[in-house]
Amino acid sequence: MKKIRKLGQKKWLVTLVWVIGIVIVWEIMAFRVAAVKRTPENILPHIYQILYSFIDSSPVAGGQTALMVVASNAVATLLRAAVGFLLGMGLGFVLALLMKLSGIIEKLAFPYLMLIQMIPILGMAPIILSLTGDIGTSRIIIAAILTFYPVAANTLAGLKSVETEKYELMYSYAAPKRMIYTKVLIPACLPYFFTGLKIAAPMAITASILVDTLQGDGGLGCMLSQSLRHAMSIYVFWDIVLVSAVIGILSTKLMGWIEDLVSPLKRIDRQIGRRGGK
Amino acid sequence: MEERMNSKDVQIHINHVGMTFKDNKGNDMEALKDINLDIKKGEFISLLGPSGCGKTTLLRIIADLLKPTKGSVRIDGMMPREIRMQQKFGIVFQSPVLLDWRTVRKNIELPLEIMHYDAQRLPERSAEMLKLVGLEEFANHYPKQLSGGMQQRVGIARALGIEPELLLMDEPFSALDEFTKEKLHVDMLDIWEKTNKTIIFVTHNIQEAVFLSNRICVLSPHPGRLSAVVDVDLPKKRTLDIRDTLHFSELVAKVRNSFEGGSL
Repeated sequence: MKKIRKLGQKKWLVTLVWVIGIVIVWEIMAFRVAAVKRTPENILPHIYQILYSFIDSSPVAGGQTALMVVASNAVATLLRAAVGFLLGMGLGFVLALLMKLSGIIEKLAFPYLMLIQMIPILGMAPIILSLTGDIGTSRIIIAAILTFYPVAANTLAGLKSVETEKYELMYSYAAPKRMIYTKVLIPACLPYFFTGLKIAAPMAITASILVDTLQGDGGLGCMLSQSLRHAMSIYVFWDIVLVSAVIGILSTKLMGWIEDLVSPLKRIDRQIGRRGGK
Repeated sequence: MEERMNSKDVQIHINHVGMTFKDNKGNDMEALKDINLDIKKGEFISLLGPSGCGKTTLLRIIADLLKPTKGSVRIDGMMPREIRMQQKFGIVFQSPVLLDWRTVRKNIELPLEIMHYDAQRLPERSAEMLKLVGLEEFANHYPKQLSGGMQQRVGIARALGIEPELLLMDEPFSALDEFTKEKLHVDMLDIWEKTNKTIIFVTHNIQEAVFLSNRICVLSPHPGRLSAVVDVDLPKKRTLDIRDTLHFSELVAKVRNSFEGGSL
């Protein structure tokens, strides 16, 4: 019993158990679907088939291999998502600062931010598309809107988390307001800001993929709907699903790595092995 | 109770200071009533009393963190606000109030940065302060890597770094264990001797007040008022064993008996 508990603390082992579990369930389903299939291709292919399709050199569309299709469209989707993400990140941070500076701005802006957040992307996308008339612009705007809220809300929470004593300390040294922000408030809110980024990054990518499906100008989402309609190999569909999932996870990881580089707080916490304490 | 002295020695002049707060029902709460006190340059003054006696309120009024509703405070003839704007206050709070993302050295340099201290002399100055509180080896540590006592010492070094006119300490050792506290008491006396700062020290611990200060202002609650001022005629250089002397016990007893009504 003790041994099992000890093994449970090993992170890689937990991951491994999960992966094996998913593979087993997947394969059972794949066999089951293959047994009742009515299409020439198995709608739920075996895992090895999906993985093989990445290195398969036979063309699937327009002389391109599956890998080339997925890679080129992933880059397109990611670039659009990234532009929107950076835009939303900047605006979210600035708005959080403004809300902190002025209670009126907070009262005016915050409820509407939450409302925007509640509109489903699928509903919002066509509206924004008709407003802007350009799919590229609307993709960026939607990614920005989705990034904006978690970043603004988390950063604001971080700015508000600063204790009264720290203000009093700065006050007692007659620190100007600018210094209270640069030396105390902004460094204090960084961990919260990054939490916002970690939530927002995969959302921006998902949004970008979703908007891809609206119009046929490339991108992962566009290929996704095309491959589903059997315009392309079913493997492309699964390749895209797999790649999207990996990109989403990596985007969150990437934010964590950037945080490690920028903010010393996380490094210290890890050094003393007391993460998240206090 | 009034404590007045020859005006030319006086650094801090507390004149009929009163403070009334409104509680949440809107009733007036008199936290301080008619405080009159003169403090000389270089004194180590303790403000001693049970909770609710307004000792922290008085300290905060001196520090310009609160405005009194009655009376006035003059420090070197100036308003507390002027002294604060000149960055002449060094405050040590009950908790160390360190910035977690700054190293010990950078924390000490924070007020110096605020007052645009010469950047080239900054490392030298912080090194000097680190030496004063005995934390040279920990310059590049982060606050979370230090014990509570060490963190409080960083707070003291930070307060002293700007060469304050006045060192204001609000129950700085109350959260520390007995051993750490004793060590810091000795350190504090050492720092007082080396720097000759005027120190105002808020505490609810009689022994602590007697061991550290040269004068103790005893405050009584409801409303907070100055009920006695006790001179501590112990030598300026003190070691921990002074607490075992008869004279020390007599002083402690004297302070205890000076609370209004004889006891608490």
